[in-house]
Amino acid sequence: MPGKTYDVVIVGSGASGGTLSAHLARQGVDVLLLEGGPKVNTRTDFNTHAMPFQFPNRHIPTMKPGKAGFDSERTRGIGGKSLTWNAVAWRYSARDFKGKTYEGAGEDWPFEYKDIAPYYSTVEKEVGVCGNRDGLEDLPDGEFLPPVPMKCSDEIVKKGATKLGVKVIHVRKATLSRAAFNRPACHFCGNCMAGCDVVAKYNSADVHIVPAQRTGKLEVRHNAIAREVIVNNENKVTGVRYIDRETKAEGEVSARSVVVSCACVQSVALLLMSKSRLYPNGLANSSGHLGKNFIPHFTGGVQCFLGELIGKPVTNDEGFLDHAYVPSFMHNRKRDYARSFGIQFNYQNRRAVGWARDIAGFGPSYKKAVKDRYPAFLTFSPYGEMLPNPKSFIDLDWEKKDAWGLPLARRNVFWGDNDWKIFHDMTDWSRRILEASGAEILAVSDEPRTNHELGGCRMGKDPKTSVLNEWCQSHDVKNLFVVDGSVFPSASEKNPTHTMMALAARTAVYMAEQLKKGAL
Amino acid sequence: MSDRRDTLKIIGAIGTTCAFPFSADELYGQQAPAHDHASETPAQAAAMPAKPVFFTDKEFDTVKALADLIIPPTDTPGAVQAGVPFYIDYVVNSNESWKKLFREGLAWLEEAAGISNGKRFHMLDEETQIGILTPLVKSADRWKTGSKSTPALEVRFMKAFKSMTADGYFTSKAGLVDALGYKGNTVLSEFPTCIHEH
Repeated sequence: MPGKTYDVVIVGSGASGGTLSAHLARQGVDVLLLEGGPKVNTRTDFNTHAMPFQFPNRHIPTMKPGKAGFDSERTRGIGGKSLTWNAVAWRYSARDFKGKTYEGAGEDWPFEYKDIAPYYSTVEKEVGVCGNRDGLEDLPDGEFLPPVPMKCSDEIVKKGATKLGVKVIHVRKATLSRAAFNRPACHFCGNCMAGCDVVAKYNSADVHIVPAQRTGKLEVRHNAIAREVIVNNENKVTGVRYIDRETKAEGEVSARSVVVSCACVQSVALLLMSKSRLYPNGLANSSGHLGKNFIPHFTGGVQCFLGELIGKPVTNDEGFLDHAYVPSFMHNRKRDYARSFGIQFNYQNRRAVGWARDIAGFGPSYKKAVKDRYPAFLTFSPYGEMLPNPKSFIDLDWEKKDAWGLPLARRNVFWGDNDWKIFHDMTDWSRRILEASGAEILAVSDEPRTNHELGGCRMGKDPKTSVLNEWCQSHDVKNLFVVDGSVFPSASEKNPTHTMMALAARTAVYMAEQLKKGAL
Repeated sequence: MSDRRDTLKIIGAIGTTCAFPFSADELYGQQAPAHDHASETPAQAAAMPAKPVFFTDKEFDTVKALADLIIPPTDTPGAVQAGVPFYIDYVVNSNESWKKLFREGLAWLEEAAGISNGKRFHMLDEETQIGILTPLVKSADRWKTGSKSTPALEVRFMKAFKSMTADGYFTSKAGLVDALGYKGNTVLSEFPTCIHEH
């Protein structure tokens, strides 16, 4: 594709790439968005209101196979993972950005809470985040739409937690509790993660990208799987090479600057694949830190039945999945580890009854035992902050290639002592809160699981130990940027997407200024 | 736990949505070739096939009897009415190790029923069937997935059979809507506040 040189080409259209592309386009920057997957019509392409018995394997699929980008490895399709996220939207706190300063653990971010706070506001005001202003030190308030009422089961947990001095608050989500921004309010069908078909839940395609295309400054190229960011001999990136997902034809675009926003692991993979004479170990990797410091969240879990609800009538409490949250409460308590955890709970869906396997017995009494417990089932999923360690990193498996001949990314995860201490403590606390709430415990997870990929391309002040500066700009190559979860120097215990979006908004302001000055 | 601590994990893919920590949240059927149908559009999947694909007719008699013993018809439908035997057939047919386990497990059950004397499990009176099943289910319930010991064939078989029966029944319309009383997946203008008295 010869011809046009764009101001910016952004690789990836999820929450980060989508937010960034819209913010740049609005400031008059010429943007091309490269998306590895197809167009998605969120109103018709999801199986939003499906029931398990409509499928032979009883699994409600998240997308149609016509949308082949959506496999387990990658979420390709315009909107990326924002199409199927649960929309939990927290601000990180002052302490989250300064773990090393506060506790000597992990790494500090190269800026402070006050530097990013205005961009959290910007995002909240344009996408809509519902929640309650709780005045908590470790979970800053934002500009919220009204919160959604808690479920009956949440109120029971809240009473139990209160006995232990632990707070339970309304969840905060980028889902509309009231009609706003020409989008309808949530209708509480409980299918958020199968894909919202009315855009009550934020997704980057409908909320950011489509409106930004109307400015005439944003073009989208679908089915373009990036394979290399091109760097010239003057140490500048000049564009991106890609493979057409359907035809496998090679393509190329030229740009004055490049942003990589392919969802953490895939961003790292793209940079590692982009080898050149200047950067034989991957683009912008003079520090050797590209791929290192991989710090996904780890979760535990407790399944239980709330005694008060056993045998009670079944109600329609699917809602928008979880309605309440146990925010981090350990920072002000005595403990033998650094950092903290928070607890998401009640985000199961009443169409999944896998726990029935584990109810003892058979026959009429078994059937009754399941029925009685059905309205009382509840899950706890505590999330802990992982500290970076040398054994946790992302690399490429050159032996294993995907359908487009590109090496597969490999996630190497090792949990250190601090991680295990948090894991055990958050599991103990989960159990204690549930027992104080009168729960009958069914199962307790004894091993961490990963979720929310973060790190691998961290930002920092020191070019020797980080890949990017505080503007998500490569220390090595001035016109190369990375904006997504990979840039996080520390993970916090909080769901990360809101912070990625705020970072994208902040980076957009910087990039637009730099482009105007001709500095890129 | 200590060996787990030292384990370095290499993970191919992290789920694109929230990670649920329990294996039972993932139904057996999800590992079946998810889409031997051309599309994931909601199908008339509930329509029952005329014949099982994997089980022989004789085996299927036993499968039906077992399924209805685990979840019998009461004031709500039982496993057979909910189409559970065909769900089990569908899932087992997708996996070689399950095929082996179910073939051998069903044969074990026929032995226990006294096939050498011409007796078949599904023809036994209910009391005798329950007598065979009770210790088996007890052992299967005690055996937790992930535990180190590998129990006897018939216990492993019963664990899988009960799990698949539960999966198949409680994801069927008869099980989920009629028996459990599922009420969600609707359009509400407001989230309903609690109706219980606390």
